Amino acid sequence: MNKRVQNGLHKMISTLPLFPVWLVDMLGSALMIIISFVCVRYAQLLRRTDKDNVIWTYLLWLCLALALFSVSRSVGHIAKRLLLLSGQADIWVKLRPFSGSVNSLMFVIVGSITLFFQRVNRINLQILNDKKAIEKASEELMWLNRNLEDMVRQRTDQLSKSEEKYRRIFEGSMDIILVLDSQGRFLDINQAGLSILGYASKDELASSTTFADLLDSHQDPRNLLKETATAGFRKDLECNVRNRDGGSRTWLFSLTARRKTDGKLTGFEGIAKDITHRKKMEEQLLQADRLASLGELSAGVAHEVNNPLGMILGYTQLLLRSEPEGTQDFQDLKIIEKHARNCKAIVEDLLNFARSSETQKGVLNVNDLLREVVSVVEHQFKLDNVTIKTHLGTSVPMLCADGEKLKQVFMNLLMNAKQAIEEGGQIQIITEHDSSRDQVTVTVADTGSGIPPEVLEKIFDPFFTTKPTGQGTGLGLSVSYGIIKDHLGDIHVQSTPGEGSTFIVTFSVSVDDQDEAC
Amino acid sequence: MTSKLRHKNYMVSKVLLATLALICWPQAAHALQTHPAPEGLYAHMLAHLFFIATLGIFTYWLQTTGLVSERGWRLIQISCFMFILWNVDTFTVHWLEHTMTKEMFITTGLDWSKKLAMTGGWRSWIYYLGKFDHLLCVPAILFLLLGLRHLYEQAGTERLAQND
Repeated sequence: MNKRVQNGLHKMISTLPLFPVWLVDMLGSALMIIISFVCVRYAQLLRRTDKDNVIWTYLLWLCLALALFSVSRSVGHIAKRLLLLSGQADIWVKLRPFSGSVNSLMFVIVGSITLFFQRVNRINLQILNDKKAIEKASEELMWLNRNLEDMVRQRTDQLSKSEEKYRRIFEGSMDIILVLDSQGRFLDINQAGLSILGYASKDELASSTTFADLLDSHQDPRNLLKETATAGFRKDLECNVRNRDGGSRTWLFSLTARRKTDGKLTGFEGIAKDITHRKKMEEQLLQADRLASLGELSAGVAHEVNNPLGMILGYTQLLLRSEPEGTQDFQDLKIIEKHARNCKAIVEDLLNFARSSETQKGVLNVNDLLREVVSVVEHQFKLDNVTIKTHLGTSVPMLCADGEKLKQVFMNLLMNAKQAIEEGGQIQIITEHDSSRDQVTVTVADTGSGIPPEVLEKIFDPFFTTKPTGQGTGLGLSVSYGIIKDHLGDIHVQSTPGEGSTFIVTFSVSVDDQDEAC
Repeated sequence: MTSKLRHKNYMVSKVLLATLALICWPQAAHALQTHPAPEGLYAHMLAHLFFIATLGIFTYWLQTTGLVSERGWRLIQISCFMFILWNVDTFTVHWLEHTMTKEMFITTGLDWSKKLAMTGGWRSWIYYLGKFDHLLCVPAILFLLLGLRHLYEQAGTERLAQND
């Protein structure tokens, strides 16, 4: 505003009425009081929506302070106007300092309250965050509460299925699966294990024996568990295990040590395959192989010895014809002839063992054959207190075989049985027909001294004998073995020392097409 | 008796003698300061300045906390601005009032007919217009009311939504 305009205005407006100022002041003051209390009311309502919200509480305090400020200020202004208008200025002069002081105090109070805003807001945010966290946790808890039962049921189902699956594998396995504690005591074993060991239930097994007790004494069971615990596992161990009846079974065994997370040994888990049958088959094959080799060797030697022996016997007999009886030369030639005949018999036996001798097969009844053999030896056996009991199957079919050679086999078996019985006993002869395999089985069992295990594998070897020198050639069983093999049969022995031995001979009933004799 | 203890007793007796002398022969101390009239006005004006500062800080916090993104708090922030303007206005009027002379207020007899002589130039104009301070503080508190009402309505809506 330049000077000229200012002067112009000044000339135009030299004075201004203060009445509009007072009017606005009065009305404004009244409005301030009214509005400030409406603010308090809204702040109250706001706080009621959430009493825990400190911001709303803060706003209520701020509004209350503002209301007090408005009252102090506006009442002062209105009072001043009314007192001055009513000509009571002296009263206003007295009130004025109080009004101004209260007014100033109110400024400071309102201002101070506003300064608390940041702290209040921070607290509020913290509370809101905590509230959210609590609400979230509460929701999760509620959810868990609602769904826990379902979850537990679901997990239990899953667990049951899993348990069932593994239990099925465990129980259904044809191999032996076992669980031991750290001391080797049985905790669990599957059905295959139980049936192989001959126990009716797991409890019976667990209460009557430990894993260490089952192992054969020549193995070191404690050391086995110790080594497994140290190494963590043992793989493909071949060990002999005794079943409930005392019979020996061969297991191919793998054992794993089970430990807690802190490394403490809690037990062992093992899986085993019963290889008893396979082992026996292997042994039989081995023996058959060995005997076949021996047979070839024997046949070669016998053939080579047989011809010179025939020449010696022939010339000896020629010389005997020209030599008068009673002379020293005649007696010497007789001794030569006797020993040459012995040698020939041994050679023939060797040829029989090697299956190189001729067989004359025909249709025969094995029961008749056995009756014939028994009738020959029965009397002599009775004198030595040995009885023979026969259980000859009525349905035993006819066989295609060399009768003489079979007689030799059975005679041999009976003689051996008798020799095994030292002070009286019994020999049982059983014949059976197994129609499913189409086989005839002849069993010769005695109650003799039995055969020690270390001897058992050698009994079919040629020239092997346990008899004193001069009492046996050791060719009896090997010749029998050769004859039976020549008839496409089989012979094996079961023996328990002190209880007796059982020889089982099997023949195939089906007639060989190439066997023209039958 | 050690020399240290002797010295202590000597000091105590000195203090006691001085206290006794002050009680027996008193003089004007001038310890209490008097507060003449302008101090009240100054205190009032300083209170205005304090109010301006706190409102400024409050406005700044509303801005930095992001609360102004909500309409209710934005209205409260406007209210704060208006209160700051009102404080500036009243502070100025108080200051100008101090410079006004009695002669500038012309009285014809009745108080309601009082007039202001515009002899002070622009000061008189600012003073006269500044006297209408309610034109600032009433809208200021009105904005506060609107802000609160909006916050209340918003809180009610949120509550309903939560209940749903």
